[in-house]
Order: sequence, then structure tokens, then C-alpha cells
Amino acid sequence: MPDCYFIDSDRFNALFQQLKKDYKVFSPAQKEASGEKPQYYYEKILTSQPFVFNAYRTQEPLKAFFTYPYEEVSDYFSAQDNIKDIDEKTMIFGVKNCDIVGHKIQDFVFLEGVAVDSLYRLRRENTLLVSGDCTDYKEVCHCLSWNIMPYAKEGFDLNLAPIGGGYLIDVGSKKGEEAVQKYKGYFSDAKESQLNARQAKRDALVERLKKHLLPQDLVPLESVQKVVKDGYNADTWKQFMQTCVECGGCNLICDTCHCFLLAEKKEGNLNKKVRLWDSCLYANYARVAGGANPLKARAQRLRNRFMKKFDFFVDNLKMPACCGCGRCIEVCPGKIDIREVLKDLAVKTSAKNE
Amino acid sequence: MNNIYRPIEATLEDVITESPNIKTFVLSLKEPFEFRTGQFIELTLPGIGEAPFTPSSDPNIKDKIDVTIMSVGKVTSILHNSHKGISLGVRGPYGKGYPLDKFEGKDILIVGGGVGLAPLRSLLFSLFAQIDKYNKVVLRYGARTGGDIIYKDAIAQWGKKKKVDVVTTVDVGDPQWKGNVGLVTTILKDLPVDLKKAVAIVCGPPIMMKFVTLKLLDLGFKPPDIYLSMEKNMSCGLGKCGHCRLGSYYACKDGPVFTYEQVKDLHDIWD
Repeated sequence: MPDCYFIDSDRFNALFQQLKKDYKVFSPAQKEASGEKPQYYYEKILTSQPFVFNAYRTQEPLKAFFTYPYEEVSDYFSAQDNIKDIDEKTMIFGVKNCDIVGHKIQDFVFLEGVAVDSLYRLRRENTLLVSGDCTDYKEVCHCLSWNIMPYAKEGFDLNLAPIGGGYLIDVGSKKGEEAVQKYKGYFSDAKESQLNARQAKRDALVERLKKHLLPQDLVPLESVQKVVKDGYNADTWKQFMQTCVECGGCNLICDTCHCFLLAEKKEGNLNKKVRLWDSCLYANYARVAGGANPLKARAQRLRNRFMKKFDFFVDNLKMPACCGCGRCIEVCPGKIDIREVLKDLAVKTSAKNE
Repeated sequence: MNNIYRPIEATLEDVITESPNIKTFVLSLKEPFEFRTGQFIELTLPGIGEAPFTPSSDPNIKDKIDVTIMSVGKVTSILHNSHKGISLGVRGPYGKGYPLDKFEGKDILIVGGGVGLAPLRSLLFSLFAQIDKYNKVVLRYGARTGGDIIYKDAIAQWGKKKKVDVVTTVDVGDPQWKGNVGLVTTILKDLPVDLKKAVAIVCGPPIMMKFVTLKLLDLGFKPPDIYLSMEKNMSCGLGKCGHCRLGSYYACKDGPVFTYEQVKDLHDIWD
């Protein structure tokens, strides 16, 4: 059980103003969407803006703070590498547990394996992730089907849980602890009654979310790898791919998708490597020199997306590369729904009930 | 800060024409660089692009590397029109390379197709450097026509070495060609190898590797003893960019050399 503190609303607002002076603070702003629940978008918070507690995840994926859609990652043939990231302490509010879990994939890719991406590491070290309990959900939310709770227990630096009159703050890391110590005048110790109140709110949301998800009869975590493997030759891929416009939105907005391309840029005498987010739905994603393309057919590319998420990462990291945030469902102009693709595979392979 | 995307500078020292569309580029590196045979590099043509290649030179030569390249795409065609003296970028080496220790005491069958002989030349140099460790080296090489055969002089020399047996063939004969005509699988008959202690190493176009592998299995080679170079579009070389996924492997960090045992149950490996 991490350390837990209470902060009342007035103090929290005062602290938030102070944090804006001490950190580069990103926090969601609320935008009303017609006929839907409001949406939350990240903004660099200006001095006068009040804090907004987002009820559910933001539109943008968390990864966008750590790798960028297009960025220079190196220069070369110069005496020294001039690519330096701004070494600025950053605090990101509005993170949800789906983002925290999904971000494990990004950390695995860029911090582990044969080499560390030092730009990513610097940004990670400079950033405090402040997560918050979900207090509501969107239609597309399906974290629970992957056994991911709508509140975080680990992986954050600090976690906010709204309770009557303020927030409970969990400390999840050394960085989080240091931040709490720095501003300790703002906090008091959490009382057991407050912890109970938080638990009641959490349980109530989980129950509501269960009611939302149960009728959907989603493919569960335990069988998803088998479903995609058994469904390799199913006509599901072709069928769902009919409406794909190959915009790549599902990959680009995904918390876990990490593919990128390295490309060249010349600025005067300076040679630079740029990194661009890539999408496995793009026609040239797997093309090799000379034109051969193992993912030439559109259906192969949709299948590749699912095999990577539910086979490759289950084998390599013991978790699927899907956190149930549903961003890919919302963004898709072709209305391709990751939940429906998996359900269709399960029906066709009937592996689900074995 | 160690930047994994930053190439080191190399000077293009020489360009050797091997065939109408294949050239060997001799690079001299400005920083220390070592590779194990079978590992690959990412070669940058500044301002143009970057592509993966496996060096074709002897890994024991430390100050220079050769890269033998066929002109097939944007980077390679511009490279083919480049002249000595230009600067190129090198990142790497990447991947696992050939497990030479597993070849010790063995009859080593090496089957190459076209420009696929390039990485195999590096392997041959490594084997020749310590030939006492191996029982014998049997090279079978096929090219499209006589004019497409690379390293012609070297191949003739290798055939004269002790413990080395070389046979070549071409897919399409012509009046100048006096040797075998037929796909490389046609020269895999009556191989002078003892299957009880033999390994096979194959490198060439996917379609060639497919039929060679089937032939080798037919001859009695076991899947763990067949080593294949899997062609994928490696971009970062570090298992991060995602492009070269092969089942639950990445070709760049887990390969690019795989045993057939590792990949035989994966889908579409020859595509």
C-alpha cells in the first residue's frame, strides 16, 4: 500500500497554481461534444487556468509526450550530437490507468531490449505522471475486459482520487515522494474514512462499467492470443478491412503502438535523422527494397495489427498491447471496432468457449 | 549522451563492379567499428535514406568494411552512381550473426543465390581464418546468368583451397557460359557431406531459400541445422521501430539469421 495523503479542494487549487511555476504542467481541458459526453484534450496549462479533473481518459495518447509524430533524433558527421531535448521538469495530469498500463509497452520498447533510447529516457526521467481515478467512462472504454481497473495501483508517480471536499493522493514512486515532500504543507495524512470513501467510489464505478461491458460479451484476456492465432486465416480481416481508408489513425492514437520510421533531413551542411510515427495499416509499411511486400494485401495489414498486439506482445511481455482505452474505435472513420473484430474471430474460430 | 540513431562517418574508399547491377563498396570508418560475421549494418546515404546490409568482408579486418549491394531501390541506385571519397553513415552492427561455435567440427554446406553470396563471403573468410576448427566447407552458388555471378576470381580461388568444395550454376545459360545450367537446387545432389554432422547455411532471395530449404529437408537435414537469412525491412536495427516482426521475433535483433526450426511454424515466412 503506497503512502496516501489528503488535500482539500482550496489547497489543491493553490498547489496547482504553485506547480505551474515550478514545472511545465500539462493538464486536460474540457470541451463539450454535441450529443456526447465531454472530451478532454491536453493543453499546456497557462497561469490563469483552473484545474480540470477529467472523468475519463483524454483524447490524446500518453505516448505523445515521450515520442513525437515527427522529430529530429540525431544529427551526424558533426563534431558532436546537437540534438538535445529541453531539460525541463514536467508534470502531466489527467493520466488514467489505461494510459499507465499501455505505457508499459512504450517503456519496454524504448528503455529495454538491446539499447536504450536516451531521448525517451531523458523525457521519462524529467516527467512526473499524475494519474487520476476514473469517475465515469466512455462508450468505447473496455479496460475491465483486459483485467485493467479504471484506477491505478502502480506505475504512476502520484495518483489523485476525488473524494468529498478534495483529493486523496497516492505516492507511487521516489519522484512522487520527493514532490510530496517538497509541498508537504499542503497535505494531511489520509484518514481511514477517506480511504473507505475512495474504495466505495471505485467499487461503484467498476460495477457501472461491468454493467456496460457484460452485454458486449467481449473476448477475455485469457483467450485473446488463441483467438487471433486460430483466426489467422479467418475472413474477418478481409471483412472488417472493407471500410478502412488506411489513415493510420488507429495506430497513431494508440497508447501502445510504437512503430516508427527513420528518415533523412538535410539542413545546409547539417545531416539529421528524423523519426516519424508509422502505421502498419499503410501500404508501404513492410515493403522491402525492390518492391516485395509481405503485407501487400489490406487484410494482411489489419491482421498484422492484431497479431502484434495480441500474439507478439503476449509472448514477449506477457501482456497484450491493448489497454482498452478505445481511442482506436473513436478515431476510425471506417468504424472498425477492435472489440468487434476480436468477437468475430472468436465466433469464427469458436476458440473462445473451449 | 549515447544516441542510438547517430551513424558514424565512413569514407567510400573504393567501388568495385561485381556484375551489371551489383557493386562492392569499400568503407573506411572514422571511429572504431567491429562486427561478427552475419551481423548487419544500417548504411546511410546522407540526405537520401538508410538501408540494412550485411558486410561482405572479413570481420578480422578492423579498419575497413566491404558492403556488396545490388541496385534495386532508391538508396541503392543512388549509391551505385556515387563516387569514391563521399561520406556515408554507418550504424550497428546489429543482430546476432552466425553462431560459428555451433559449426565447429561440422561439414558446413553453404548455399548462396545471387547477391546472397555477399554475407556468405564474410562467413567464408571467417571459416577460412580458422579452417582447422571445421571439417569441411561445401559451397553451392547459383546466379541468374554467368554475367550475374559475383566474386568470380575469389570463387575460383576458394575452390582450390584444402577442405573446400565449390560448385556453381546459372539459371539461364549462354554461349559464354561453360558451367552448370539449372536452379541452385539442381546442384544439391550427391553432396560431399556427412548428414550426421552437417549444417546448412542459406542466403538468397526468399523464393530460392524456400526451395533450397525444402530440398535440404528432403535430403535429410534437420530444421535446427538449417540457417536462413530472413529478409525484412529493418529500419532501426534495434528492435524498436517494429517493421521487421517475424512472428514473435524481430529479424533485426533476434536474427537476421534464424534456424529453420525457429521459423518453420510461422506464417508466410517466404513472402
